[in-house]
Amino acid sequence: MSLLAVRDLTKRFGGVHALAEVSFTVEKGEVLGIIGPNGAGKTTLLNCISGLYRLDGGDIRWDDTSIRGMAAHRIARLGIGRTFQIVRPFPSMTVRENTAMGALFGQPQGRLQPHEAQKQADEVLELVGLAEKRDFPVLRLTVPDRKRLEIARALAMRPRLLLLDEVMAGLNAVEVEQALGMVRRVRESGITIVLIEHVMKVIVGVCTRALVLNFGRPLAEGPPEEVLRDRRVIEAYLGERYARLQEAADQERAKPTDA
Amino acid sequence: MSQFTQQVILGLLLGGVYVAVALGFSLVWGILNIVNLAHGAFVIIGAYVTWALFAHLHIDPFISLPVDAVVLFIVGYALQRGVINRVIRAPVLFTFLLTFGLNLIIVSVLLVIFTGDFRSVTPSYSGSGLQLGSVTIPYIRVAGLAVALVLAGILWLILNRTRTGAAILAVGADRDAAQLVGVDLRHAYALTFAIGAAFAGVAGGIISTFQSITPTAGDPYTLQAFAVVILGGLGRVSATVAGGLLFGLIEVLGQSAPGLGSGYANAIAFAVLVIVLVVRPQGLLGRLA
Amino acid sequence: MIARLRRMPVTWRRTTMVVVGIALLLVVLAPLTSTDAAQQAGLPLLTDKLWFRIATTVAMFVTLASAWNIIGGLTGYASFGNVAFFGLGAYGTGVLVSNLHWSFLIALLAAPLIAAIFALVVGIPLLRLRGHYFAVATLGVGVAVGEVINNVGPLGASTGLFLPIMRSDRLFFYLMIGAAGVAVLSTRLILKSRFGYGLLAIRENEEAAAVIGVNTTFYKVSAFVIAAALTGLAGGIFAQWNSFINQENVFPVTYNVEMILMAVLGGAGTLLGPVAGAIVLELIIQALAGGGSASVYSQIGLGVLLAVCVIFIPRGVIDFFGGQSRLSLSYLRRTLRETSA
Repeated sequence: MSLLAVRDLTKRFGGVHALAEVSFTVEKGEVLGIIGPNGAGKTTLLNCISGLYRLDGGDIRWDDTSIRGMAAHRIARLGIGRTFQIVRPFPSMTVRENTAMGALFGQPQGRLQPHEAQKQADEVLELVGLAEKRDFPVLRLTVPDRKRLEIARALAMRPRLLLLDEVMAGLNAVEVEQALGMVRRVRESGITIVLIEHVMKVIVGVCTRALVLNFGRPLAEGPPEEVLRDRRVIEAYLGERYARLQEAADQERAKPTDA
Repeated sequence: MSQFTQQVILGLLLGGVYVAVALGFSLVWGILNIVNLAHGAFVIIGAYVTWALFAHLHIDPFISLPVDAVVLFIVGYALQRGVINRVIRAPVLFTFLLTFGLNLIIVSVLLVIFTGDFRSVTPSYSGSGLQLGSVTIPYIRVAGLAVALVLAGILWLILNRTRTGAAILAVGADRDAAQLVGVDLRHAYALTFAIGAAFAGVAGGIISTFQSITPTAGDPYTLQAFAVVILGGLGRVSATVAGGLLFGLIEVLGQSAPGLGSGYANAIAFAVLVIVLVVRPQGLLGRLA
Repeated sequence: MIARLRRMPVTWRRTTMVVVGIALLLVVLAPLTSTDAAQQAGLPLLTDKLWFRIATTVAMFVTLASAWNIIGGLTGYASFGNVAFFGLGAYGTGVLVSNLHWSFLIALLAAPLIAAIFALVVGIPLLRLRGHYFAVATLGVGVAVGEVINNVGPLGASTGLFLPIMRSDRLFFYLMIGAAGVAVLSTRLILKSRFGYGLLAIRENEEAAAVIGVNTTFYKVSAFVIAAALTGLAGGIFAQWNSFINQENVFPVTYNVEMILMAVLGGAGTLLGPVAGAIVLELIIQALAGGGSASVYSQIGLGVLLAVCVIFIPRGVIDFFGGQSRLSLSYLRRTLRETSA
């Protein structure tokens, strides 16, 4: 049984199909990368899963139970945490308070008291590397730190599935390396991950599987290396001409072995 | 002629008034992102200007409409430049409080100047009208509707056929970009607000021809203008026209419903407002945000 | 965590607490002072009827501003319709006392109940709206409810509703102080609770609050209902105190604007800010009215006060005392530059 199963998911805005009959599954313990050009519907997909958008068709099943039409907060408490591409911290609170909010409201079982939530927040901040800055007001954080905080707040919910929306965008090479390490640590702690990313290094580096979306439809799916070499994927990203050149180059390189 | 047809005609005529009132309100809201709670007060200033010219100089109310426009244009420009411009980037709550304060000041000053007595503008032709079956449709109301439609046409022309209109629309679409291409932001803002006020003034002139006026008589028009804009959808002149006419219809038909009467003007506006906001937030003709 | 969430620098908080504490102490003890003692102390005003009226009015606005703060300050939904709760509370108690001849204190219990039920019914659709839409829609609630009541015969229609006169300045004074105390205490309990954090999360980013598990609809409707109950309670007390209610004196939009201004000036979202704001602003308003009922000039005064406050202090006086800025010309210039076109 899959942890999450998306079947024929359709979402329209006005007359435009943002997502059209998208189907895929997420298995326990994997890291699924979702890639695709801008406007392909990646963030819309996360918004549908986390309950911020109403579906126009299809179904989403969690542990084989439909969560279609369920309110966002209930989905969160089932164990689905997420981050936002454009970070959304609670601006008047500190780093620690922001994180504690995840523990206070998002955990499936039991109701924590504020001081317990705070203790758990400290543990999570250690994991994402924000422990020293825990008393900072969020407005003093740098962009990479704000992204870390997004993850910390989601992790404090103790989710079983973590949806990451472009957490590496805008980071430099060193920071991407650190972030990759963090994603691996999260995975090792037993949390399944779905991540949206443009940085190919990330897709190849941590994902066990990749799904490509284009114009709201699935284009390709499979092991990251394979998917990234798929002609249709290269076309979608870089245009048809580049795909043809790439193919020619591949053939060129393949020749000597033929001979 | 059936009772219903009469109601529809009366509703559309009343709707013309709402079109006139809502045009300026919609413009200011759409471009400046300000819901002007003093809009009703502007309307009533216009009504008093018409009344004063009629009562003291015997000037026909329809001839004094341009005077209303000029007076309110000046008032609007000055208020925007001097006061409202200072909070243009502050949160909604603050522009709300500020325009409420302005409304309070204007109404009180009008009370001091004109007292709370009912004032009416009664030109010689005010009683005459078209006989349709059992109901008389006053010519004055027909003229009011005509003026409202002319106003809508003028606003459309200003926005779509003049440089000023282009600047106003540019500011409404993207403040910073407009500034980059050389639009004088403060002037464009003040001009937009002034045009909105001028339209309110003309609406007030029309209103004075069929309704007794007091300093507080403008208050319901603010909520009604809001309801009209919600009903039609924000951002297009045609939407305001449709919203205004429809709102007039709803009000007349609603007040003729059993148990309701003319005392329910605000309640009807509010009910329309809430139903539309909940069922179709973008308005009947509005585009999806 | 709790202290910091209130976003009030410690020094300012202490000052406010001391000021409010002294004010409360005076207010509670003053009526106990016998006329003789007051005169000996050179404080003849303390037992004056006028003083009682002003103090009771101040307590009423402390209640209103604190109640508004729960939905406007903590939850971030700036309601312009709270005055509807005040009016409904007043009419609830008024009808029970005047038409059904209930005893006042029992009828008073109905006031918060009626207001709360009404808030529940209108809150569910209205709290889906945001920004201008929420503001104007709630503004419409107050106006519309007032208008409807104005048309209903058994409620006195446009004549208004008369309640048998109860002459006890002290009773109404203590009831209002009690209502204010309940409002402040409720705010304090909310601020310290999980519920309060949920409200703050909604204020700061509603979608983020939802995806971390905050039941946003339930939370904001609850906040609205609590604010309504407190506001309705004040309305119920007012009805008997004034012994005459009509559309004009229990549904004025100016009340709503005043409670907002009090909360915002004192510091929206804080515990004692609205209390301080209400005390200061209501005394100014009373001074403008010259102890009499609202005149044209006091209305102009209130309008000017609104404009001045909004233009010069868009972030609330809390900034001045918070050590972030000093009340100085350069501060005012900066504020103007930041918010003007």
